[in-house]
Amino acid sequence: MQQNISEIQQMLGLSDEDVAKPLPEPTPWSQPFWDAAREHRLVLRRCNTCGAYQHPPYPSCEACYEEDFSWVDAAGRASLWAYTVNHFAVPFPFLADLPYVTAIVELAEGVRMISNIVECDHDSLRNGMELEVVFDDVSDEFTLPKWKPVGR
Amino acid sequence: MAQGEFALIGTGEVPYGRYPERSEFEIAYRVAKLAIQDAGIDKDEIGAVIGAAHIMGSSYNTELFFGRLPEAIGARNCKITASTISGGASSFSIRKTVEGILASGETDTVLVVHAQRFSQFGVNELGKYFAAAGSDSEWDVPYGMTYNALAAMVTQAYLAATPATIEEVASVCVTLRKWAMLQPNAMFNSKELTVEKVLGSRMVAYPLTSLMCNLLADGGCAYVMTTAEKARRVCSKPVYVLSDASQYSHRSITSAKVKDISELGTMGELASRAYERAGLGPKDMDIFEIYASYPGVTLMVLDSLGITEPGTSGQLIASGKCDPGGPYPISTNGEAMGMGHTGTGVGLGLFVESVRQLQGKAGRAQVEGARFLIENCGGGAFMDCHFTVLGNEIPA
Repeated sequence: MQQNISEIQQMLGLSDEDVAKPLPEPTPWSQPFWDAAREHRLVLRRCNTCGAYQHPPYPSCEACYEEDFSWVDAAGRASLWAYTVNHFAVPFPFLADLPYVTAIVELAEGVRMISNIVECDHDSLRNGMELEVVFDDVSDEFTLPKWKPVGR
Repeated sequence: MAQGEFALIGTGEVPYGRYPERSEFEIAYRVAKLAIQDAGIDKDEIGAVIGAAHIMGSSYNTELFFGRLPEAIGARNCKITASTISGGASSFSIRKTVEGILASGETDTVLVVHAQRFSQFGVNELGKYFAAAGSDSEWDVPYGMTYNALAAMVTQAYLAATPATIEEVASVCVTLRKWAMLQPNAMFNSKELTVEKVLGSRMVAYPLTSLMCNLLADGGCAYVMTTAEKARRVCSKPVYVLSDASQYSHRSITSAKVKDISELGTMGELASRAYERAGLGPKDMDIFEIYASYPGVTLMVLDSLGITEPGTSGQLIASGKCDPGGPYPISTNGEAMGMGHTGTGVGLGLFVESVRQLQGKAGRAQVEGARFLIENCGGGAFMDCHFTVLGNEIPA
């Protein structure tokens, strides 16, 4: 597969930069999330005024419009909301990962995230199943929180 | 908006598909001329030209923003040019812009033009763009998200939460293809589909197979919109805008304002509002012009239209009742699955087809005696929804 992929890269005339995996581009109001992920901690932003969790974060609280926040440790538990198993026609940098699962997970704190479900049997995925966070160091700078079935 | 205050009087469209030699400008110029001729007006009657931006960028956009089209068309009395875009909902946001211009009284005739040429982009460029188009580049794209994956997740959740089956999802593709076969400009109008063929095609993003995923197309269309007063004067069969209803939910699908993802499709209340404002109900509709881009989403929208119990629209489609000749015609141009996906143009194409149907100009796809229809569009990660009721008469 790996050799195939470099052949395709050559055939399409793509530079190494073209085929590099896309990494997050943090904003001033999201940077603490990625800093914590690098330390293998999952944190969420909570509004100090109204207590609402918000993800993805924006400059102000979606509920009360205030801008005073704390980053708090998340439980690291979620349930599966919806998923797909990707088999074909994904962006070039993800070809080598096929087949892989992308999913919407709902965290215990109530917010949702797009992520990958890893270390799982694809046929055993069920909406509502319990998940726990794992951390994938995808580069020196970035770690992506991902999820696996509880107890796997 | 007063009911029936504005009307459509002419449309134009070019073939959809892969036409790399045909520039965006050529498409725009041609569909504009076809629409003006179809409307039976003089080009100098046009007081405003509104364009849908070409997605993924193009020098055509710069020309559009700076008003090249009125000059090229020779619209010597043009006063206003603008470009309006809201992704898949562009057909709606453009029409509301046109209504505002007409209501201002500055002109009584507006030309709307769309052109898209995807074939100028490489596979990797398209892949990168459509990975981010429905997703968030910081939070979703690093996980290998794609537009197909987004639609697949929505379909997976819908199937898990309702009695609908993957065979019914496949039957949507079969029905849409039947409609596309009747359209001279459709990208996919030569080969019939079967449920077995759809299910047996290559798995792309479970549960979606390749024949459940739309393909990008080059194409374009245009229409002329005017006041009802002028329409009655210049057009033998104008199509009136009877009502509409809108909602915006989210940009990131993770922020959808629903408890369960399958509820993304429960837009029944919104559709009811559009019906009520038109003084009509689902039983009065002769056609249901659904913009979904993916067959699972067709089911979610059809569930909301008041002709079937939520979760059972797949049974209705599988029974053939939404096919040509059936009692509940849907998406009569075959929509993105049949016409080809022209970016912001899918909704515009469906709107143009809606007008053709109600003008009695839909050719082989004509639904005999069609008087009223409901049409919808929405963009991004199923972020918004807009229903419009059109009619070739104004209900008493």
